[in-house]
Amino acid sequence: MVKAEFLITGMHCPNCAMRLESLEDSLAGIRSAEANYQKGSLVVEYDSARLGEAELLLAIQEAGYDGVKIRDEVVN
Amino acid sequence: MQEYLLAFVTGLTAGGLSCLAVQGGLLASSLANQVERDVLDPAHRKTPRSMSAKSTLTILFFLGAKLIAYTILGALLGLAGSVFTFSPAARAILLIAIGIFMVGNALRMLNVHPFFRYFAIVPPRFITRYIRTKAKNSVDYFSPLFLGALTVFIPCGVTQAMMAVALATGNPIQGAALMFAFILGSSPVFFLVSFLTMQISQRLEKWFYRAIGITVLVFGLITVNSGLNVMGMPLFQPRWPGAAQADPVSPTRPPSSDGVLELMAQNNGYFPERLAAPANVDLTLNVITQDTVSCSRAFLVPSLGVQIILPETGVVPISIPAQPAGTVLPFTCSMGMYTGEIVFGD
Repeated sequence: MVKAEFLITGMHCPNCAMRLESLEDSLAGIRSAEANYQKGSLVVEYDSARLGEAELLLAIQEAGYDGVKIRDEVVN
Repeated sequence: MQEYLLAFVTGLTAGGLSCLAVQGGLLASSLANQVERDVLDPAHRKTPRSMSAKSTLTILFFLGAKLIAYTILGALLGLAGSVFTFSPAARAILLIAIGIFMVGNALRMLNVHPFFRYFAIVPPRFITRYIRTKAKNSVDYFSPLFLGALTVFIPCGVTQAMMAVALATGNPIQGAALMFAFILGSSPVFFLVSFLTMQISQRLEKWFYRAIGITVLVFGLITVNSGLNVMGMPLFQPRWPGAAQADPVSPTRPPSSDGVLELMAQNNGYFPERLAAPANVDLTLNVITQDTVSCSRAFLVPSLGVQIILPETGVVPISIPAQPAGTVLPFTCSMGMYTGEIVFGD
């Protein structure tokens, strides 16, 4: 499992955060997605064996936002 | 039964517009949340018809929450059967806090600085998760519900008068029924004004988001000023549409020879707005009402600690102790909407 934090641009309101969090419903391999509208960030825990970082960034883009990874770590 | 009908009619006539002036900003904030989701987010962009339905739901949620909150308040007032009102100072602080929240939220909507994102109402994560899973693609109903319930803390003068009546019932069921009838009566005006505004605005959606941000900003500044009014130190004198106009020929009136000042509390404000009074003399201020049902019935002189709910028709004398020359005593309705002052001179 990898826990990665992304800096997100393009969030207009708290609903955008909810929309980003819905990635955990639509993308296989995500354990949890937690977006913070105030900080403009998204923390995702995902199974790197099932989901690549590039795929994740593409999904963020398709949702209408831009993401830049600022840190990641391996977690259990 | 007649008192409930009267409460409904009072809400329908005076309560709607009066409360809209005080609480309209919170409703605008609710609508703004809906609009920013539907207009700004390309993934959520809706057809005008769909937006109308969602705007309607947003307004209905807001009004529904308000109705429930006030009904509960009516029950509590009836139960308490004793004084249960905010002091002017507490109300002023509350108004200023709400005003600052609205200004911050408006600056967020206008994208002035990322800091203002902290003014957004962010529902707890368990609620957003619930909304996401149970009501996908639904209206954002948390904000209108929360803000609608919040109106209970900023009642307009007419509402306060009704709250006083609910208190006097000394019965929770009667108190609840009275407030329910009143708020239900005030709801059609709220709904119509808000809905029509949204319909016109959706045709100009490109500009609407900024316009609603500016509207919230203006309402926020007015709310902060209202709080300062209640404290007796306004930044500016508000002028509501239809407010009593100062007499252009004789803006001040001298007191009568027996030291009595007269002030009319009308439905559209206080007249005259500025009273001239002699310094160093004890005076009586007669506040006169005649079929007055507006906010102006909740009369305050902040610096003297005077707080009175005036009768619909009658004369209420208020003792004004001697003041040195140059003193200005502001007076206001309890929500800081209608204001005026007594100026003491030689």
